[in-house]
Amino acid sequence: MYRYDEFDHQLVAERVEQFRGQVARRVAGEITEDAFKPLRLMNGVYLQLHAYMLRVAIPYGTLSSKQMRMLAHLAREYDRGYGHFTTRQNIQYNWPALDRIPDLLQELASVEMHAIQTSGNCIRNVTSDQYAGAIADEVEDPRIISEIIRQWSTFHPEFSYLPRKFKIAVTGHKNDRAAIKLHDIGIVIVKNAAGEIGYEVHVGGGQGRTPFIAKKMSDFVPAAQLLAYLEAVMRVYNMLGRRDNSYKARIKILVHETGEEEMRRLVEAEFAKIDASQMLTVPQEEIDRIAAYFAPPALQELPAASASLDAARASDTAFDHWVTTNVVSHVKPGYGIVNISLKPIGGIPGDASDAQMDVIADLAETYAQDEVRVTHEQNLVLPHVKLDDLKTVYDTLLAHGLATPNLGMISDTIACPGLDYCNLANARSIPLAQEISNRFADLDRQYDIGELKIKISGCINACGHHHVGHIGILGVDKKGTEFYQISLGGSADENASLGDITGRAFTEDDIVDAIENLVASYVDLRQGGERFIDTYRRVGMQPFKERLYAE
Amino acid sequence: MQSNRQLIKDGTLAENLWLYLEDDAALSDTASIVSLQRLEDEADTLRARNAPLGVILRAGEKQGEDVRRLAPFLDMIQLVAIEFPVYRNGRGFSSARILREELKFDGEIRATGEVLFDQWQPMARCGINAFEVDASISLDQFNQAMGEFSQAYQPASDARRGLLWQRHGK
Amino acid sequence: MAQHSAKGARFQAVTANRLTDGEVVYFTDAGHWSLSFSEAAIADGAEAAEALLAGAMPADFEAHVLDPYLFEVLQDAQTGYQPASVRETIRAKGPTIRLDLGKQAIAS
Ligand code: HEM
Ligand code: SF4
Repeated sequence: MYRYDEFDHQLVAERVEQFRGQVARRVAGEITEDAFKPLRLMNGVYLQLHAYMLRVAIPYGTLSSKQMRMLAHLAREYDRGYGHFTTRQNIQYNWPALDRIPDLLQELASVEMHAIQTSGNCIRNVTSDQYAGAIADEVEDPRIISEIIRQWSTFHPEFSYLPRKFKIAVTGHKNDRAAIKLHDIGIVIVKNAAGEIGYEVHVGGGQGRTPFIAKKMSDFVPAAQLLAYLEAVMRVYNMLGRRDNSYKARIKILVHETGEEEMRRLVEAEFAKIDASQMLTVPQEEIDRIAAYFAPPALQELPAASASLDAARASDTAFDHWVTTNVVSHVKPGYGIVNISLKPIGGIPGDASDAQMDVIADLAETYAQDEVRVTHEQNLVLPHVKLDDLKTVYDTLLAHGLATPNLGMISDTIACPGLDYCNLANARSIPLAQEISNRFADLDRQYDIGELKIKISGCINACGHHHVGHIGILGVDKKGTEFYQISLGGSADENASLGDITGRAFTEDDIVDAIENLVASYVDLRQGGERFIDTYRRVGMQPFKERLYAE
Repeated sequence: MQSNRQLIKDGTLAENLWLYLEDDAALSDTASIVSLQRLEDEADTLRARNAPLGVILRAGEKQGEDVRRLAPFLDMIQLVAIEFPVYRNGRGFSSARILREELKFDGEIRATGEVLFDQWQPMARCGINAFEVDASISLDQFNQAMGEFSQAYQPASDARRGLLWQRHGK
Repeated sequence: MAQHSAKGARFQAVTANRLTDGEVVYFTDAGHWSLSFSEAAIADGAEAAEALLAGAMPADFEAHVLDPYLFEVLQDAQTGYQPASVRETIRAKGPTIRLDLGKQAIAS
């Protein structure tokens, strides 16, 4: 894992002190809310319905056990005993008092974490693949370049007041687990014919009111030139992006209105100028220094199969199911990647208690090379666990309500905070996720249905990724009452697609039955081993719609 | 310059010698800041005039004025005022860098408009060396804000190299 | 903002969030801010509502509370006044998914 050097420490400490001064001036009435709001937002502090919310960055979703313990401590001391892991691989606290946030941030800084640029119209936390460094067939660990991008983008003097927020995601694997095509910039690490590493850059993806899949701007940006290329994209955006309408201010709209070809020409022209100075060519020594932090952990040479694991699977069916659904093959024989579902049946997607966070930190320290990952699907990962240790890890997770064997299943729902917390919401999201989870609680039924991604947002901002759910649900408001609109066929992976709206919205009472109808349609229509999304792509909307709206 | 503003230039309080000239106002021998449009339309007249010339670059909402339009006139202007109409509109940060780094402008670049406390330091990093700030701001406060961050991660228009380079003495 | 409009409402009350901790507060007949909806001043009719909102915005309001606004309230024979929208009901009580949190938790 990356470790701060003295400069990193100093910068974060300076930022905490800066914010402490700002809060003090605000509480003393020396500055108005209008002046203060942008400052607090730059430090990840929002006002929600019941309290302030603090968003803490988890760069590329990687945490050490010490950091995880700190997150637990903060939940206990400054919040109400829990935190919410988000689709941006961040954690949000829902109840901190404004005047205590500077202390919270100071404690956070002691474990090399911060809330910088988790809000505001700047370059946000860089997100990445939760299996980085652990999965087979990776071109390169995406966290190396993510860390370089994190540093380059932190307090960037030119790009801290962009037309709108800016999100970058990186994957080093052909299977995209970071939804890179739904980001302002999505980066895929690739190798060219000569075996050199470079970056395929996608620009202009995003969700919200007007969703777009990103356009491929470059097939191959050589490694040494990536920052110059990114600076070129950012500069074109900062100069030309619209500032007259916040709904049209994202780079996706600029790309759309300018046209892909013209955008590419503008970026290339800017890139040529910036690159000519060589100013942004990161020294190889620095790349090596950062890469060393992400060197593969010292794993043991082990046989590919574990006799103790096989025996435990044979004698414990629930464990066997969990291994099948939640454990993924590791690049190293004898190890596995463990997914910890934060979607207990009927639970709140993405929430973890302080006690649970402590347990996970202990497991990471003892069994997983001291690492925890956060996924954009609001789950956690222990990236390097010996197959021999899986049963012990499982038993501990089970005892703390963390062993739900439902990864990728219908109950592994993404849901934004919605109207239970969020100031912008039209409708609640979490209760729907809970009702759907309860309705499909039976695991055998879930396994029969197979992979089915339901994603729920409480308003058109799409924090819950509803546009890219196999089934997406969007909360809408009709005269103070909640309604839910369904879309089908979205996907956030390497074959990214946006969902199509089925038609008229449903009430809270009808929505779970509607989902049940869609599932029934799929089960009737599917062929061979088709997943829901495959069936939808083959047969289209009509058969689903007919059943959904049949009287 | 607005009457409730003072000018801080190169780290000290400075007297403002410049006049913002409306497009229909007559030219005089006072140091004058004209619009980009006027500069383009009346370049010959302005070139013949014998007094310091500046230009203001408007940030706009939907579109801003393109700083590269200044390229043909750089030899005749001593000052570029970059407008920040609201703190959220950060187009001027890019304009300033292009002016310094690509167009190699070495005259005064001045920030005018609504500028927050915390924006002075990044502005300076982008090559802005003069600030029209609220008269209530003391020079101490200004300098404190300018020193809020002792390090920078990335290079820009100033002398700081960026930590990714500095760590290796580059 | 979603679920924010009180247009055409007969009864309205004024709410805001407290500066220091974001707690939901209501403007009372006594001209103070209360943590409890039950103490909220209820305005009958548009004019009374505007007057109530104006009263809730003294020059130094910023020092205590953020963004006061009007919201619709319904009169109910059994329970007295209740917020009309789901949003305001949730603000008055707490998250519907965690009955141990928010005002509802203190109440029980
Ligand atoms: C009170 C809390 C929140 C507020 C006020 C908020 C606000 C917003 C807004 C206004 C947008 C639309 C931006 C745009 O289209 O330009 C947005 C998008 C988004 N938010 Fe949130 N959000 C909140 C919580 C969350 C949470 C909890 C998550 C993760 C679960 C999240 C993840 C996202 C994502 C992934 C997007 C879509 C990005 C895109 O448009 O490309 N947000 N949010
Ligand atoms: S999608 Fe809407 S309701 Fe959900 S968190 Fe985002 S802004 Fe709030």
